[in-house]
Amino acid sequence: MFEKVLIANRGEIALRVIRACKELGIRTLAVYSEADIDSLHVQLADESICIGAAPSSESYLKIDRIMSAAEIGDVDAIHPGYGFLAENPHFAEVCESCNIKFIGPSSPSMQAMGDKNAARAFARKAGLPVTPGSDGIVETEGDAIKIARRIGYPVMIKAAAGGGGRGMRTAHNEPSLQSAFHSARHEAEKAFGNDQVYVEKLIINPHHIEFQIVADRHGHIVHLGERDCSIQRRNQKVIEECPSPLMTSGLRRKMGNAAVKLAKSVGYENAGTIEFLVDQDRHFYFIEMNTRIQVEHTITEEVYGCDLVKEQIRIAAGETLSPHVAHATPRLHAIQCRINAEDPEKDFQPSPGRIAFYYAPGGRGVRIDSHVYTGYTVPPHYDSLIAKIITVGATRINAIDRMRRALGEYYITGIKTTVPFHAAMMRNGEFRDGNYDTGFIERVMSSGKLDLKSRPIRLHE
Amino acid sequence: MELKDLKEIKAIIDLMKKNDLSVFEIEKDGFRLKLQKAPAVQTAAATSPAVASPSKTEEAISETTPSTPQSVESLLHREIVSPMVGTFYRSGSPDGPPFVDVGKTVTEDTVVCIIEAMKVMNEIKAETSGVIAEVVAENGKPVQFGQVLFRVR
Repeated sequence: MFEKVLIANRGEIALRVIRACKELGIRTLAVYSEADIDSLHVQLADESICIGAAPSSESYLKIDRIMSAAEIGDVDAIHPGYGFLAENPHFAEVCESCNIKFIGPSSPSMQAMGDKNAARAFARKAGLPVTPGSDGIVETEGDAIKIARRIGYPVMIKAAAGGGGRGMRTAHNEPSLQSAFHSARHEAEKAFGNDQVYVEKLIINPHHIEFQIVADRHGHIVHLGERDCSIQRRNQKVIEECPSPLMTSGLRRKMGNAAVKLAKSVGYENAGTIEFLVDQDRHFYFIEMNTRIQVEHTITEEVYGCDLVKEQIRIAAGETLSPHVAHATPRLHAIQCRINAEDPEKDFQPSPGRIAFYYAPGGRGVRIDSHVYTGYTVPPHYDSLIAKIITVGATRINAIDRMRRALGEYYITGIKTTVPFHAAMMRNGEFRDGNYDTGFIERVMSSGKLDLKSRPIRLHE
Repeated sequence: MELKDLKEIKAIIDLMKKNDLSVFEIEKDGFRLKLQKAPAVQTAAATSPAVASPSKTEEAISETTPSTPQSVESLLHREIVSPMVGTFYRSGSPDGPPFVDVGKTVTEDTVVCIIEAMKVMNEIKAETSGVIAEVVAENGKPVQFGQVLFRVR
């Protein structure tokens, strides 16, 4: 087992990894930017090293400084979290060449799945259904038009090097395809330094269902069921639940087996997620694979009774899959709401700043993964996720009502947050019926029927 | 003294620091306060007459330049900070002489130290001109981004 791990991340996931390390008796080294000097994960780590100025490009993305810190700190392994360098095959390679274990998959398998277009080819080869689309990179507008005519509108233009919902455009007809094609390429170039795009059929109002897989370094691969992440705003996940209200045991078996088959075919190791779209007739199509731990790993942990981050560390240290993970079965229902520092009444405009007062809910079946505290200043340089609240219940409705109860006690003042938005969602009839798809939030927000007023509180000052 | 007064006194001390004042005196409603800054220590003397005199507000602020040469220089010190993460070395080789010492004159291009990162020896330039006043970082010890290496006057 490792003696010391460097956490190459920040915010709630850095805290998550530090917690897992502490429970395993592993010493922790946090690296941080100048904007994160007061961050909770920096305070809780055994050691910490400042690696740069606030912008991510000057700090959390600086491979040389992170490796320097790893060398000074004499660490055995690095956990990359999610985002930043988590899916950077070059970073994984650098770790390996420095004899520091990268807690995640190998560089080649990351590379195979990282190119979203190549991943589709792998999936097809492994016998998985994929969304109809181009067979590879689409170089010209003319080619895009030809493909769109073949598969039928609407279509999506997607960045091959993309992720996190960026570098994507929709075109509902041929006239709009031209601008969609060029603006997708432009955004891809800016965001990922690579303007290659491919074309995919846009499935109307699907469910976004992803499967968690875990693989050790001895060839054992299992899936830990699905997560329904259909509730999205601008392609960013907002609410996730496990299991999916749409799922049947037959479909779960089919999709789970497909996920394991793909992971096996690329020799995958450690934790990963395979994303599918499921249409209204319960046909499923592979979209992409994420070769990292995900933000919503939490709900799988609650339902399948495991600690996925600890398992990641164990696998990286060479252990075989823990029996309780290898034989995990789902019990209970879990929901996660992502609390962002955003103003839901002003189109989710970012709301960084000092948290004047913070009180997180508790009680049975409530889990909070958060790095913020009273007096903490949310910096403007990074994503707006400040907390994840997860509730567990015996049934789906229990979990929803528990979430509604817990959100009613969640007090965060000084900045705007999406707590009132989530509270309104928990009261929403269609959500409660499990009757939603990826178009849900847009419909609900434009209907203007969400009551976003939060109750005034008098708990401090 | 009331809590409010304490807060006000603290605010006055901060103002004095910011504006580089050595003495501050105020008399208001029979309450007189004088704050005098010594080179390293601040002392406060407050007196309240037993009988409240008719209210007379008087404020006197005396502005004097700091008396000790030390504090003048401490105002003018610049810091050379580490642009990277690594190990700080004062000389180019284990037995060699240090690049700079206290009292050495540097210009922007003067190499002041080496920071070793991942087996690569990086020469760090002063990027300022003046005289080395203090060697802050320790030879052979790790330094992080932004850490103070030298003070220059």
